[in-house]
This record gives sequence, structure tokens and C-alpha cells, in this order.
Amino acid sequence: MTTPEVSWLAILPELLLALGAGVVLLVDVEWKPPAWVLGGAAGLAIFLATGVTVVQWIEVADVVRADLAADLVVFSGLIVMDGFAVFGRLALLAVTAMGLVSGWRLIESTGRRGAEAIALVLLATAGFSLMVSSNNLVMLFLGLEVGSIALYVLAGLTRERAGSDEAAMKYFLLGSFASAIFVYGVALLYAGTGELEIIAIREFFSRVVVANPAVLMVGLGLIIVGLGFKVSAAPFHAWAPDVYQGAPAGLVGYLAGVAKVAGFAAMARIFLTGVVELEASWVPVMGGIAALSMLLGSVVALVQSDVKRMLAYSGVAHAGFIMTGVVGAVSDGVLFYVAVYALQLVGAFAVVSAVSGPAVTASELSDYKGLAAKSPGLAAGFSVLLLGMAGMPLTAGFVAKFGVFSGAWDRGQHWLVIIAVLASVIALAFYLRIIVTMYMEDAEGAETAVPVPVRWVVLLAVAATIGWGIFPGFLLDLASDALAL
Amino acid sequence: MLTALILTPMVGAVVVALVPARRRELHLPLGIGLSMITLTLAGYLFWAFDPVAGYQFAEDLAWYRPWGIGWRLGVDGISMPMVVLTALLIPISLGASTTITRRVKEFVALTLLLEAGMIGAFLATDLFLFFVFFEAVLIPMYFIIGIWGSERRVYAAFKFFIYTAFGSALMLAGIIALALIHNAQAGAPSFDLADLMRLDISAGTERWLFAGFALAFAVKVPLFPLHTWLPDAHTEAPTAGSILLAGVLLKLGTYGLIRFNLGLFPQASVDSVWIMGTLAVVGIIYGAVVAIVQPDLKRLVAYSSVSHLGFVVLGTFALTSGSLQGAVIQNVNHGLTTGALFLLVGMIYDRRHTKQISELDGLQKVMPRLSGFFLFMVFASIGLPGLNGFIGEFLVLIGSYATLAPLAVLAALGVILAAIYLLWAYQRVFTGLPRSEENRVLSDLSIRELALLAPLAALVVVIGLYPGLLLDRIAPSTESTLDRIEASTGFTVSYPGRLEDVLVVGR
Repeated sequence: MTTPEVSWLAILPELLLALGAGVVLLVDVEWKPPAWVLGGAAGLAIFLATGVTVVQWIEVADVVRADLAADLVVFSGLIVMDGFAVFGRLALLAVTAMGLVSGWRLIESTGRRGAEAIALVLLATAGFSLMVSSNNLVMLFLGLEVGSIALYVLAGLTRERAGSDEAAMKYFLLGSFASAIFVYGVALLYAGTGELEIIAIREFFSRVVVANPAVLMVGLGLIIVGLGFKVSAAPFHAWAPDVYQGAPAGLVGYLAGVAKVAGFAAMARIFLTGVVELEASWVPVMGGIAALSMLLGSVVALVQSDVKRMLAYSGVAHAGFIMTGVVGAVSDGVLFYVAVYALQLVGAFAVVSAVSGPAVTASELSDYKGLAAKSPGLAAGFSVLLLGMAGMPLTAGFVAKFGVFSGAWDRGQHWLVIIAVLASVIALAFYLRIIVTMYMEDAEGAETAVPVPVRWVVLLAVAATIGWGIFPGFLLDLASDALAL
Repeated sequence: MLTALILTPMVGAVVVALVPARRRELHLPLGIGLSMITLTLAGYLFWAFDPVAGYQFAEDLAWYRPWGIGWRLGVDGISMPMVVLTALLIPISLGASTTITRRVKEFVALTLLLEAGMIGAFLATDLFLFFVFFEAVLIPMYFIIGIWGSERRVYAAFKFFIYTAFGSALMLAGIIALALIHNAQAGAPSFDLADLMRLDISAGTERWLFAGFALAFAVKVPLFPLHTWLPDAHTEAPTAGSILLAGVLLKLGTYGLIRFNLGLFPQASVDSVWIMGTLAVVGIIYGAVVAIVQPDLKRLVAYSSVSHLGFVVLGTFALTSGSLQGAVIQNVNHGLTTGALFLLVGMIYDRRHTKQISELDGLQKVMPRLSGFFLFMVFASIGLPGLNGFIGEFLVLIGSYATLAPLAVLAALGVILAAIYLLWAYQRVFTGLPRSEENRVLSDLSIRELALLAPLAALVVVIGLYPGLLLDRIAPSTESTLDRIEASTGFTVSYPGRLEDVLVVGR
């Protein structure tokens, strides 16, 4: 047996993150330093991982230019270091950095548990980062589990609050169930093809026409269900509102953001690379789930009175929009969309944590009454983020929607696009509801103090939303260079 | 040049936003001053505009090349009057907003942003860019109605936003479809209007695309039966909001029908003249009848918009030389007269704090100047010869008689009904003796208010007496639109009401 070749560069970001997590835990046990030391260590790990990812990007570009793309598949086919993985990782790292900053007040306030939270965040990101660069379905599953388990614990960080406890338990039970379904789907796909590597699966289907694909169909169906759960697509979304509402506000944005980025990257890789030849059979299913998610998410969000639940249902709708892009086979559109959405989500939850307090679980719409008068900057920032999520022009949300819609239209999915544009308008209604509450109702209670970290996160998210809305070229170019092998 | 027209109000909004909120006395004058810069530029545009040159002052900068979107601007005889009208109405609406005392800074900044969006939508010759401006206009307007409106403002703002957003959603799908058809035929997607006008679209597809675009614009116009958002939005909006809504925003709809529906889908346009014409006439009659029974003066003017814009749509889809020119000039006329009527209603409201016709009487005695202006605008609105409304309605009616004779006859009823509801309203509100004490002590127009009304009144007379000033600039563009339809469909455009035949135009 030969030793597998090792390409340290491909997994260095994950190693750095995991190392950071270990250091944070050990240092905390040994010296019990103040929280900022641990935060600094985590920041350093994220910074270095980002630097390495940029180096990876340059390396990938060089290798692709030299037409040696096969060299990018490393570790005997377990890991692939392509533009797609690098882009996904950059998005994950950005969300992680912003998530840690916006959750900082929460992390500080949980005392000794703060170190655990930091370590878990780093571990979760390491897991999801591995997931976006997996070429092997078992590897992908491992990344998914490392990330997910860390998230289950984070959802219960403020466990003395019943809501948080319940959220963690629900997330854990349903999440493990979905993971089991996913891995069963992987097993059936393996049974049908004899391959676990995504690129090998693609080659299998370009060689072989499967006469009786029943096993494969069931396998793909189960994979869709499993990933559909992770990205909270309807009808597998039931956990999301409870978890978003129950988990501490300071971390929900991170929780939701990374899970979405990794989930959709995996979905795009499996379906647009692995089983792209079978699209006649999975496109109708995926399209149906997308349509249902968009409509159900938008309509149910209309009647929510809790902003966190509203954002959860809007996340269901967004899952539908992004799946429209998967159906349209525009992997760059999917990446752009999910990156933009994740940043907006972190920003939006940073606002929620400022308005309702970082540890609090509920966030009633009435808390936002007259926010425009109480803290104009926060209200304006939140409005931009909401309009961005709604996909108004001049925001990155519009460019993102435009990208996935035109992809789907190009593939002849006209009805799906029409449902999507109509769902966008329904969605607009509840984003406006929040804006109405902030701007057009009279203020109650005292002025809302906006912590400095929250301010920075919101500012960054707003800058990204408007900046990429007006000049989308840079990020779109990056995304369209980020092709999966 | 055109970029400057869009950027000056945008930069102006930022400048206003940078002035600290406590210097509240500065914001309004600053906003008016900044919008005068844009007006000066627009005046230059009018002066430098070459009637026969087609699209001019064109600009074309790539925005994101792989998608074929670009910062493409251009102006022709159909959009130029609208740009000038927008630039004119902004300082007037700001000048009419001295009664706004809450969050003045935000109000002025949003109004300037609105101006940038509207001018951008009229100038865009790239469908992506057009859609961006078309939608972006909603946001400032939504806030203007929702924050500074009257009692039911939140409901009205919400209804306005959702109606128009629903309409334009399908247009977005249509725009994507067009760009992808271009991709299939030319190898790359493009949103350039000139490229898309050359596309070869199958009849079935063209009909669907036409419907998607028409729906978006019909909501905006608004065409019966999609008009229900309008009375609410108008009634609840502050005076400036109503002026801009009636004066410019609705014109995005009629402008869009001419520019995009006629321009991009000639065959579908020819096929749908009866449908669109009938809807327009139903709107003319319905709007007028409903206006008669309105107890609220502002609502009455709002319904009169539904009626008047029906003429514009009828003129557009009658597809004759005269009627299309009439439609474009009626766009301008309606902006001037209805803008002025909303301004006057706002002035009455500022003094008397009611818009209910039943509570107002005999104002002529206490406010002779205001009443004079009101009556003057009423006459312009019902099309008294010598004033601007006559020119537009006359051209529309005479032109549409050639192709849609029964509809033209019915539409003429609208002119009579307009006389009924406007003059009856005038009679109830202004004539007789003021019975109640409140109505006896109202003050007449101030110098500021006179200065706001005078330019509008002057233009009403100028266009009424010398329509060639505008028509000379409009006609070449409308003719080329019709020539294109003729060339690509075999439909014969008739030319009754050609300028030379019906009017002596000074050249």
C-alpha cells in the first residue's frame, strides 16, 4: 500500500483553524486569560487561514492556467483544491470573522464558557471549510458532521435559558436525523456507481447509461433531503424558526450563515459536478422544492411577529432562490448569492442582537418600534440589509437574484422563474413590515445603545450590500473563476 | 452630460445628508438650490437638443461585460420632455414643503434621490439599468408617503410599494428573457435597447413578453383595473409627494409603454391595440365618473389622473402619428396641470386643514388669487383651447379616431365628464359666500406660493399657444417609432392629425 501524497497547502486553512481552537481551549484551561486574549488568538487563526486561502487562490489560478487541473485533486482524491472550494472558504471565513465580532458581547458575558464558544466557532468553520473542498462524499460527510455538531452546541450556549436549551436539543435531534438520511443517500449512490469521489461519479455517468436507476434515484432523493434540511429548504425547514428564535441572538447569524454557505456549496458540487448527467431526473425534484420553499417561506414570514422567526422563514425562501440557481446550473450564481446572503444575514442578526440583547432568545417586532428615532444609524443599516435581502436594485441582493433567475430561465425553467419573481414580491412585503415598524411608528422606551463591534459588522455588511450592488463585477468575476473541477 | 443630470441630485442628496440635522433651516433652501443646478442642466439639454438626431448625448460604459449590462444613456424626443418636466417639478415640490417640520433633512435628501432615480429611468437605454432606476424610485417614494403622509399613510405607502413591485416582477422575467434571446441569436447576452430592438422574436414569445412589460407599466400608469393603489397613495402623500407622483412617477408607466412596448414588441403592439385602447377608455370614463362623486378634493384630483392618463394610453396604442405625439405631449401637460392642482389643494389644506369639499365654500371671496390659479388649471385640465390640455387631447382624439373610432368617441365623453367634475368641484369649493367662520379668515397666496405656481401657469399658456416648441422636438422620435412598427409588421400607420394639417405651427 502506498502512502497517500500529502498536499499541506490544500488543508492548511483547516489545520490553522483547528489548531486555533485547540490553543484557545488549552490556554484557557492553563492560564485563564482575559477574553480578549482568546479572541485575539481566534482572530489570528482566521487571519492566517484567510491569508493561506488567498495563496491557494493564486496557486489554483496558476495550475489551471498551466492546464494541470488534475493536480488539484489531492489526498488520493479526498480533497480538491479548486476555485469553487477557495471561494466557498473565503465566504466562510468572512462570515466567521463577522460572526465572532458581532457575538463578542455574548461570548464575553458567558464567562468561562466563552473560550468554548470561540473554540467551537473555529471548529465549526474548519469542518464546513473541509466540506466545501471535499471531493469524496464520506469526507464531505465528515466535514458536515464536525461543523454541525459544533453548531448544535453553540445553539445551546446560553443553556440556562429554556429557549436556548430547547433550540439546541431540537437542532441536534433533527440535525442528526438529517445527517443519517444524507449518509444513507451517499451509501445508495455508492451502491449504484461503485464510486465515492464526486469527479469519479461524473465520469461514471458519462461512460455508463444506467438502465434501471431506482437505487440511484432513491439515493439522490435522500441526499436532497439531507442537504435540504441543512440549508432549511421547505418542507425540511421546520427546525429553523425554533432554532433561530431559541439560539442566542449574538450567534444566530454565524450559525445560519456558515451552514448555508457550506450546504449550498456541497449541493452545487454534488449535483452540478457529480450527477450532472442525471439532471433530467433531479431537476424536477429540486425545482419543486425550490418553488415550495420560496412560496412557503415568503408567505409564512408575512405573519410572524418575531423578527428572528421572520428571518428564519425568509431564510427558507432564500434557500428556494438559491436552489433555483442550482436548477439553473449556474454554480457561480449560487456562490455569489450565498456569499452575499450570508454576509447580510450576519449583519441582520447583529442588529437583532443590538436591539434585543445578545443573549435574549425572543425578538418581538414591537421592540423595533421607532428604532429610526432611537438610533438612526442602526435603523438605516438594517433597512439596507433588509432591502438587500429583498433583492431591490442597487443592492447585491438584486444582482444575486438576477444571476440565479437568468440561469434558470436559460435552462427553460420559465415557471420556476415566474414563481421566484412573484415570491420575491411577497417577501418584500415582510421586509417592508420591519422597515415600517422602525420608521413609521412612534418610539417606545429608551435609546438603543449600539455596541461598537455590532456597529462595525453592520457597516461592513451594508458596504458589501451596496458596494457589490453597484459594482458587482469584482465578486462576480471571482465567482465565475471559481469553477468546480 | 446625461450622467451629470443623474449625479447632481444624487450628490445633492449626500450633501444635504451631511448638513447636521439641527441646522434644519438650511436643508430646504439647500435642496432647492441643488435641484436648480439640475434644472439648469435640463434647460441646457432642451436648448441643445437636436430634434432630428434621434438618440443623442449617448453614453455607453460597460458595467459588467459578461452579462452585457452597461451604463447606457441617451435621450430622444420622447424622453427629453420628461426629463425637463422632472427637473422642473422637483424645486417646485420642495418649495411647497415648508410645512414639513419633522425630519426635514431626510425629506429633502429622499426627494433628491427620487429625482435621480426618475431622471435615470427616463435616460436609460439599457434595460437592466432602466429596471434598476424604475425600482429604485419606489424606495424614496415609499418613505415620503409613509413618513410624511397623513393618517393612513402606512397603509397607502405599503399598497403603493407592493402593487408596483408586483407589476415590475414579471417585467424582470421579461428583461431576462430578452437578454437570453439575444444570447441565443448573437452569442452574448445584451441589455442594450438598440441591440434588443433588432432581435427576431417569435410571435408567441413576443406576446408573452409584451404582456409582462405591459403589466408593469399598466400598474404604474395606472390603467383600469390596476389603479386602486393610486387614490390612496395620492390622498395620503404629502403635497410634494402627490405632485411628483402625478407629475412624474406615473409617467414612467406611459413612457415605458411607448419606449419599450411599442419599441420592442411591434407585432404584439399592433395586435393589442383594441385591448389596450379599451382598457384606456374604461379608465377614462371610470376615473371621471368616480371623480364626480368624491367628497375629498385631493382624491378627486387623483381620480382625474386615472382619467387623463387613459388619454395618453389611448393615444399610444391608436398608433397614429397624431395620437402618439398627443400622448407624449399630454404626458407633459398632465404633469404641469395636475401637479399644479395638487399644489393648490395642498395650499388650501395648509390653511384650512381639510380637503373635504363639503367643508369648503366661497373661497373665491377670501382667496381670489388662489382661486384664479385653480380655475386656470381646471380650464387647462379640461382642455380649453389656447391652453396646453387642448393640444394633447385634440391630437389624441383626432388620431385615435382613425384607427379606433368607437373608442375615440367614447373617450370624447371623458372630456365632457372632466368639465363636469372639475367645474362642479370648483363651484362647490370656491363660488358663493363663505358660510363658516374658518373659511372667512383664510389668507391668499404668498409671494413664495406665487413663485411656485407662476412657472407652471406660464408653461401651460406657452404650450397651449405655441405647441410647436415641444411638438417639433417630439415628432421626429414618435415618427421613427411608428416607422419601425410599420416596417416590421406591415401595419399601415395613418397620419390624420399630422401637425401640418391641423395646426399652424410657427417654424
